[in-house]
Amino acid sequence: MTLSLFDQFLSPVVCWIPLVAIAITLPWILFPSPTTRWLNNRSLTSQNWFLSQATSQIFSPINPPGHKWALLLSSLLIFLATMNTAGLLPYTFTPTSQLSINMGLAGALWMGVVILGMRTQPTHSLGHLLPEGAPALLTPILVIIETISLFIRPIALGVRLTANLTAGHLLIQLTSTATLAMLTIMPVAAIFTGILLFLLALLEAAVALIQAYVFVLLLSLYLQENV
Amino acid sequence: MLSRLQAISVKVTDPFVSLSLVQASRSLQTSSQRLAPVPPLPDHGGKVRHGLIPEELFEFLYPKTGVTGPYMLGTGLIVYLLSKELYVINHETIYAICIGTIIVYGVKKYGATVAAFIDSINEEKVAKAQAAKDSHISFLTEAIENEKKEQWRVEGRGMLFDAKRNNVAMLLETNYRERQHMVTNEVKRRLDYQIALQHLNRRLQQEHMINWVEKNVISSITPQQEKESIAKCIADLKVLAKTTQAKAAA
Repeated sequence: MTLSLFDQFLSPVVCWIPLVAIAITLPWILFPSPTTRWLNNRSLTSQNWFLSQATSQIFSPINPPGHKWALLLSSLLIFLATMNTAGLLPYTFTPTSQLSINMGLAGALWMGVVILGMRTQPTHSLGHLLPEGAPALLTPILVIIETISLFIRPIALGVRLTANLTAGHLLIQLTSTATLAMLTIMPVAAIFTGILLFLLALLEAAVALIQAYVFVLLLSLYLQENV
Repeated sequence: MLSRLQAISVKVTDPFVSLSLVQASRSLQTSSQRLAPVPPLPDHGGKVRHGLIPEELFEFLYPKTGVTGPYMLGTGLIVYLLSKELYVINHETIYAICIGTIIVYGVKKYGATVAAFIDSINEEKVAKAQAAKDSHISFLTEAIENEKKEQWRVEGRGMLFDAKRNNVAMLLETNYRERQHMVTNEVKRRLDYQIALQHLNRRLQQEHMINWVEKNVISSITPQQEKESIAKCIADLKVLAKTTQAKAAA
């Protein structure tokens, strides 16, 4: 093996032409834009149905002023889900396994939500630093802890997504390398490793969709607090 | 977009180049040049074999290579790539087999259900519109029926008026007859009254006359005449008594 395990996470370059932009714009190319027709074909109908379900699901607990974020969060969901699932295919580059992209998304969106909350209703937003029903003695410590947790949020959001995808891809690489290596020497062990790889692939497919949903759900929760 | 390019190029370059640019690009414009009416979408997508390869490839190769042609082509290509190590078998191949199995299994198992569900969404939309249209049509049909019924009712109106007219005529007739009857009765009463009056007059006259005659007769009877008549009556009675006694004794 001339490749190391981490070469799959390198930004894709072909003859010194960076392809990362194509990798990031993949979701935009894959999904047809809504038409002015009354009845659409299956793919557009399913896309519209899924988007309307997801948006109503995510935005039902949020107050009306927060509904301005519907377009942003629903497109973010599609973006992340497509990138994660496209990364499941072999020989692909997953942009969301890079900390740069995830931190960029998480940091910017989290800061937007917090600034929105601080500007429109500062008292209410600051009130979240002290949870309800807490004993009065613990107030100073609680405020410090809540502030730390507030500032940890963007890091947590970004790193969660990165770690999940990176770990999944690494595990798949390791298991498949092991299967291939043992295929000629110990076929039975290779078969068991192959079964493990199969289950891992299933898990990764689930994780890809779930992590995208969790990212958007957490952002919607932060929005709910602040709007 | 190409027309804009053409418009810009007309200003800059000479006419020959711009014209040939337009002519060259015309062959690339495959869609219809009109915006309305929007051409209908095909009901189903293009036919594919094994979920990936368009049917057109098989049809293209069929005249020269028969049914097995495309498969031989595919196998040959794969064997060529593998043998020349243009495609190297590495760990990703194993993973590709796994994920390929998962994807194919998922599509085969849930494909039809998902397609049916999506079709049902579209059909619901069509059914709603159809139901609205049908309800409106039925409402209008009912309105037509009601209108026809009303027209039929109007035809019967003439008969109703005739009956009412007859009724009124009968009432008038009855009233007239009653009044005539009353008139007759009243006239008869007047005439009866006159007759009764005449009878009364005559009777009074008769009685008056009788009374006058009696009075005169009684007043004309002198006491002498009275004595004589009484004596005659007594004599007659005696004679009668004697004859009766004689009859009785006999």
